[in-house]
Amino acid sequence: LKVQNRSEEKASTVSLNEEKYLGFRPQRVSVAGGVLSFAKNQTAPIALVILVVVGGIASPVFFTYQNFINILWIVSVLGIIALGQTLLLLTGNFDMSVAYNVGLAGIITVMAQLHGAGLWLSITLGLGAGAVVGLVNGCIVAITGANPFLITLGTSTLIYSINLTITQAKTWYVAIPKFAFLGQGKIFGSVQISVIFFLALAFVLEFLLQRTPYGRNLYILGLNQRTAWLSGIRTNRVKLATYILCGLTAAFAGLIMTSRTGSTVGNAGAGKDFESLIASVLGGTSLFGGRGGTLKTVVGVLVLGVLNNLLILLNTPYEAQQVAKGAVFILVVWLDGFAQQKQK
Amino acid sequence: MKIAGILQKSSGVLAQRSVVILFAVLFVVFSIAVGGTFISPLNLQNVARQISFDLPVALGMTTVLIAGGLDLSVGSVMSMAAALSIGLQANGTWFAVLAALCLGLAVGAVNGLLITRGGIVPFIATLGTMTLVNGSMLTYTRQRPLAGKDDSFTYWGSGSIGPIPVPLVFALVFLVVLSVVYQYTKFGRDLYASGGNEEAAHLAGINVARSRFITYLISGLLAASSGVLLSSLLDSASPQIGTDTPLWALAASIIGGASFAGGRGTAVGALFGVLSLGILANGMDLIGVPTYYQIGIKALILILVVGLDAVLARNLRNGLRRAVP
Repeated sequence: LKVQNRSEEKASTVSLNEEKYLGFRPQRVSVAGGVLSFAKNQTAPIALVILVVVGGIASPVFFTYQNFINILWIVSVLGIIALGQTLLLLTGNFDMSVAYNVGLAGIITVMAQLHGAGLWLSITLGLGAGAVVGLVNGCIVAITGANPFLITLGTSTLIYSINLTITQAKTWYVAIPKFAFLGQGKIFGSVQISVIFFLALAFVLEFLLQRTPYGRNLYILGLNQRTAWLSGIRTNRVKLATYILCGLTAAFAGLIMTSRTGSTVGNAGAGKDFESLIASVLGGTSLFGGRGGTLKTVVGVLVLGVLNNLLILLNTPYEAQQVAKGAVFILVVWLDGFAQQKQK
Repeated sequence: MKIAGILQKSSGVLAQRSVVILFAVLFVVFSIAVGGTFISPLNLQNVARQISFDLPVALGMTTVLIAGGLDLSVGSVMSMAAALSIGLQANGTWFAVLAALCLGLAVGAVNGLLITRGGIVPFIATLGTMTLVNGSMLTYTRQRPLAGKDDSFTYWGSGSIGPIPVPLVFALVFLVVLSVVYQYTKFGRDLYASGGNEEAAHLAGINVARSRFITYLISGLLAASSGVLLSSLLDSASPQIGTDTPLWALAASIIGGASFAGGRGTAVGALFGVLSLGILANGMDLIGVPTYYQIGIKALILILVVGLDAVLARNLRNGLRRAVP
């Protein structure tokens, strides 16, 4: 029991003091060096500040209350997906099926409404679909031990085929008007309720990560699966639970997205898998597992949102935005790779 | 050691011999289920032409897998190469083709650098370049299909020498060259060693990073040549080219005996992997399976193959651990 306690303690201190270790320098470092090492650890917040300043200079409408609210509103769907993705990344796993899982939840909900289900039943069915997808992903990964990336890429395509089959490649409209509240409803006058959901979920999950045994287990699992197993953590159970959680958050984001547009299509959610990865890693969650947190992901999501907003305000064509996304992704994972190498 | 040997043999369910059996079974099943149309010379020629655009990509993927990597950017390289070889025809067809092939090499070099120098996991790095190349392709084509201007260019994709499609000749040349390289050159042995056990290969004096870097160059070049041949067949380039290629090529390679764990796989295996998936797609088309179901069936095959590959690799590892004290 002592051994177990010690290893858990060690792992949790490593994860909590991660930032200090990463940028650690002896005391004789110059001011410039100190600034540099600080900057390396705070990439996402610094990028956010720079982007906001650039935005203010480049566009007159950027610094308006309405624009900020808009940014938050737009990113909240991606943000909720990225929160679930972050939990999985912490364990060293991935879920590439979140994209079409988002679509599936919306499609199931709309279809249930069209077949006469009530508001709450349709929402439950939508969320349930997400949980089932998470369960399937988790089971396959846990049983076969295969690369989670490839497996979930496979299930993603499978869900896509299901979505296309259900929708028959047509657009379907929400049948219950009240459902619009989830995506369009406002409180405090002008703040959308989905923004509140996003931020609240981020804080709840951060609490889960930092203050509960389950959260601590995620970090240990991500740092070293074998150590986690030897210290008595039921690794497969933790993995399964996290996959289900990720499926649920994706489904929830899907409900918000569907409620926002009032309709759903077969390829709804496409591209969200990649974007959620970018947002998480941009925020400082490592692709190698064991480092990161959901509040960091909020910053990462905001960076992406502000960047997107800026590109749109500056009338950049859609295609160029895709190039920018790819470039940002490569840059960010490169930095992540360096951080990982340095740690070793 | 005896036990290890037996395990190695029995775990070869996905190895070369079985893929030939799989191919034979699929062939017989579709011959019976579809009837005469399936084994008609015209249809077989169709299948042969179809697989000759898939084979180079699968060969490249197998090469990368042998050295312990993965390349998801092949699909976007294919579509960008197709767009360049059609779009630059105004400057001369040879220049256009050369530019397309250079693009493949360049993307391969970026992949190789990101993975060997940058320390990024292969699938993440190639996912990034995939998005980047895809975005560039969309920017270049403005999301519209491009039409060819040079009629002689179409010969490379749609022409035939007797009953044999011209692109198949290219694909078979790639196959033979890579087979020889894998089996009879030092570089080939280095590949298997790097993928099989990185540490041991490094200690044996093999430059693992260099061999891996070259595999990405090969994969990029082969994907680009696939794109060029395909654009020649269609005499146009559409942004839709290559959307499901990475998954599909991966499944073909693993069915053909390559492993995600690295160190295994052959060029002939890749050929039979491509053939099996090719006649599966063709057979489903002839029976009239809806496109949406076909997407799902392909996904199921990928999940099955990747899962099985992982289980077998784990069994092999455990068996070796038990057998060697």
